[in-house]
Amino acid sequence: MQLDPKTIDSLVEEITRQVLAALNEQSGRSGGLQRATDTASSCQQCEEKGAQRLSKTIRDDTRRPGILSDVQVTPQELARYIDHTLLKPDATYAQIAQLCEEARQYGFATVCVNPVHVRLCAQLLRGSGVGVCSVVGFPLGATPTNVKCYETQQAINDGATEIDMVIHIGALKSKDYDLVREDIAAVVRTCHNHGAICKVIIEAALLTDDEKIKACQLAKEAGADYVKTSTGFGPGGATLHDVMLMRQTVGPDMGIKAAGGIRTYQDAVAMLKAGATRIGASASLKIIEGARSAS
Amino acid sequence: MSRIASYTDHTLVRADATPEQIARLCREACEHRFAAVAVNEVHVHLASRLLRGTGIAVACAIGFPLGGTSTWVKWYEARSALRGGANELDVMIYLGALKDGRYDLVEHDLGAIVRLCHDHGARCKAILECALLSDDEKVRACQLAVAAGVDFVKTSTGYGPSGATVHDVALLRRVTPPAVGIKAAGGIRTYADAIALIEAGATRLGVSAQASLQILNEERLLMENP
Repeated sequence: MQLDPKTIDSLVEEITRQVLAALNEQSGRSGGLQRATDTASSCQQCEEKGAQRLSKTIRDDTRRPGILSDVQVTPQELARYIDHTLLKPDATYAQIAQLCEEARQYGFATVCVNPVHVRLCAQLLRGSGVGVCSVVGFPLGATPTNVKCYETQQAINDGATEIDMVIHIGALKSKDYDLVREDIAAVVRTCHNHGAICKVIIEAALLTDDEKIKACQLAKEAGADYVKTSTGFGPGGATLHDVMLMRQTVGPDMGIKAAGGIRTYQDAVAMLKAGATRIGASASLKIIEGARSAS
Repeated sequence: MSRIASYTDHTLVRADATPEQIARLCREACEHRFAAVAVNEVHVHLASRLLRGTGIAVACAIGFPLGGTSTWVKWYEARSALRGGANELDVMIYLGALKDGRYDLVEHDLGAIVRLCHDHGARCKAILECALLSDDEKVRACQLAVAAGVDFVKTSTGYGPSGATVHDVALLRRVTPPAVGIKAAGGIRTYADAIALIEAGATRLGVSAQASLQILNEERLLMENP
């Protein structure tokens, strides 16, 4: 890729202009806090794609755990809840290719990778039914909204179907709730305009319970599809307490992704029973093996 | 006048840093004459406003700490930071490409940011995250960063498995031309750490806010009671 600064500059300006135009059009229509069905842009194809994805999300969500307490979950069913994850900075092409192969074989919901690997994963997983999940503002959440939106747009262009974004934690801590909400809403709009799902990472280990509740409320107000416990790079991962608290806060209509430190089949099932509808794990294969020996 | 302070990037890149903490960071930087404050991009504008005219630089972390964003995104992020008032960018390299031996990707990724920095009169530091590299890979990464035109190579993000070591700083110094600085960062806690790294060849230290004040305190006590 030849990177002549002037060319990039003009391209960036053009892309930014188009994104902003799309965003303005959206916020002009209804104050900016909408669900995927009514956010899709003038592009008919996007609109259909967005609606399909949303109905898929809702279908996923109606398979709400609780169902698991009554029925034994099969390994195949469990796999559909898992984002098969590799976010190490030194991940190689070969490792990412293997991740995709495993995801295809086991039928995981998505592979979750850094933005540099989205294009490769989208190519390798075409037609497999496995989504490509990428991370934005990750893992610190400390890039400005315009950068998060640009990053989201690029990831979706490369083939991402789901975006896990990190909230502006510092702003939450200093109670600048409008900033936190608008930061989330802008990324959500970018996702929904292109038929992608948006998950909002609150990095619960850095928050008090009150802050966790507030973060979930803001994500819900911003129209996000999921709230997610942790990046996996913070001081702690998903806890049952946090998942239950988040489920209590967002109600039945949003997804919850538990991520960070989920290593075993028992961990995964406990998270689902507590109210999670998605599991982020790098130990996914071990979890599925656990499910096989349990069933 | 503290010797260590002029080497130090007074650093607060925690995810949960608040504007109040950043304001304090800037006040401390003015008081002790640190080389720079190092912050995340959301805080660049505030830091740059607070430090205008002080001669203390604002350093911003880019692609941080994983380096897992595409060149386009790093470039956009870098431009946004420079427009916000950053004078120095600490950029995480594309580590996966280095591991894969796709060296041209690593160099282009950095080169795009370096040109942007220099167009804005800013300086560019390349973070290698040495703890994830073999010695051969560290040397290679250093050569690629130098070829890309960086002003500093930097050992670590502070978020990796471990931070700066004397061994790594000495190695980087050996393979880097004198005009390019070496920034040691991650896990620098004491005055002894700081001196050892400077003696090994570091020209800049990235030290988290609390530790840098403690190090200055240790330095002052030693100068008063040699």
